[in-house]
Amino acid sequence: MNTDLVTRAQGGDQEAFADLVYAVGDRFLAVSHRILSDIDLAEDATQQALLSVWQNLPQLRDPARFEAWSYRLLVRACYAEGRKSRRWAPNLRLLSVDEPMVADGTSAVVDRDQLERAFRRLSLNHRTVVVLHHYLDLPLDRVAEIVGAPLGTVGSRLHYATRQLRSALIADAQLTAREVAQ
Amino acid sequence: MTDFKTSDGDVNRAIRSWLREDRHEDVSRIAGALLDQVDTIPQRRATWWPARRTPTMNKIVGLGLAAAAVVAVVLIGSQLIGSPTNVGGPGIEPTPTPEPSPSVAAGLPEGPHLLLDQTEDGSDPVAITVTIAAPEWFGEPAEGFILSGESDADPPDGAGMIVFAAREYYVYGDPCTWSTTRPDTPATTVDELVDALANQALREASAPEDITVDGYAGKKIILHMADDVDFDACEPEFTLFGLPGDDRARYSQGAGQIEELWIVDVDGLIVVLDGNYYADTPQNAVDELRAILASATFELP
Repeated sequence: MNTDLVTRAQGGDQEAFADLVYAVGDRFLAVSHRILSDIDLAEDATQQALLSVWQNLPQLRDPARFEAWSYRLLVRACYAEGRKSRRWAPNLRLLSVDEPMVADGTSAVVDRDQLERAFRRLSLNHRTVVVLHHYLDLPLDRVAEIVGAPLGTVGSRLHYATRQLRSALIADAQLTAREVAQ
Repeated sequence: MTDFKTSDGDVNRAIRSWLREDRHEDVSRIAGALLDQVDTIPQRRATWWPARRTPTMNKIVGLGLAAAAVVAVVLIGSQLIGSPTNVGGPGIEPTPTPEPSPSVAAGLPEGPHLLLDQTEDGSDPVAITVTIAAPEWFGEPAEGFILSGESDADPPDGAGMIVFAAREYYVYGDPCTWSTTRPDTPATTVDELVDALANQALREASAPEDITVDGYAGKKIILHMADDVDFDACEPEFTLFGLPGDDRARYSQGAGQIEELWIVDVDGLIVVLDGNYYADTPQNAVDELRAILASATFELP
């Protein structure tokens, strides 16, 4: 991130802030879209997060830390939007994480719809960790910093989310297989 | 399509691949409306202390303090230095109108200055007045802030003061994560407030001392913020406590902040005289600050 741009925006330079919006906005929108699984909510969260960035920029002590700081605001905005919405209805039967996997060990084929359905079953906290780690490629300590949770908690969330996704995907694949067989 | 087997690695690869599909997000769809709003939304100050004004500056903007039950400030003078137990009586008349803007060169006049006027507040009525006698203090009493010398109230060597008067205080368990550590029930007495502050994370507390200010009993407690607090790793507006209707009544200035709180019970209303300084603040500024705190008088309608 261009720290000069951040510094100028901190000083109230609206043109610099506009440049900042275009520099980070697409990525913000992409992250919030993936966390919220809804483009309308994602746009609202992104807009709110960017407004928070503008309002709170003077409080950022080190412009070099803008990225982590701003993602923290984005995550908070996503949580706020997520709490407003109850659009995610469960649509998959989850296997217990301890339930045996596909008995014969054969591969299942997963398409993006299966992934999306499985992903939507996760809580906001779990989805956020998955997106920050797997989409932004952030190491877990930075994810912990952004979400404001201990490193162990973040690791646990990622582990749990992975197990839940695996179970949900397999359950979905089994259901699809049975439907095809009938 | 993704070939999916049964391991976590397979799930991770599937998720990564899926997450990285282009979904055509384009911030330009919202940027116009967003930037229009920026025109009307002021930035919040880095602290609740406004930057010192130059002689040509006018109204202070964006104080960031909402609130109702708060605020006021002032300066003081070296001849008023005294202990918190021998503070002045109720005879000082409040200044009826705001003081003129201070000159940077001259500092504020002695006053008295009306720092907080809640006499029209049905639930928390009080007026608080202080006196300033030192030449190197600046601020805007009518707008509720006070600054010391050349360094404002920020680290490494600033000093300042603010006043709160309310019946309920929500002391956050951890100022770094204040929004999620708000207590279920507020502190409603001097002892409860002192206890909550003494147990707040990231700050070391002194033993409370009994004080009397303007004939009202209370306690003094000094809270020292750790020097290594990473503000950028915390929630925005690192917040110490909130009031009813104002969750962010009291921000923090920075790591190493020393907060000297004189808390008195004014007929059931809990008044917090909140002084702020640092290890590197000159001793004379700390003494002057204490004199300002000690000069407080309270008037009830």
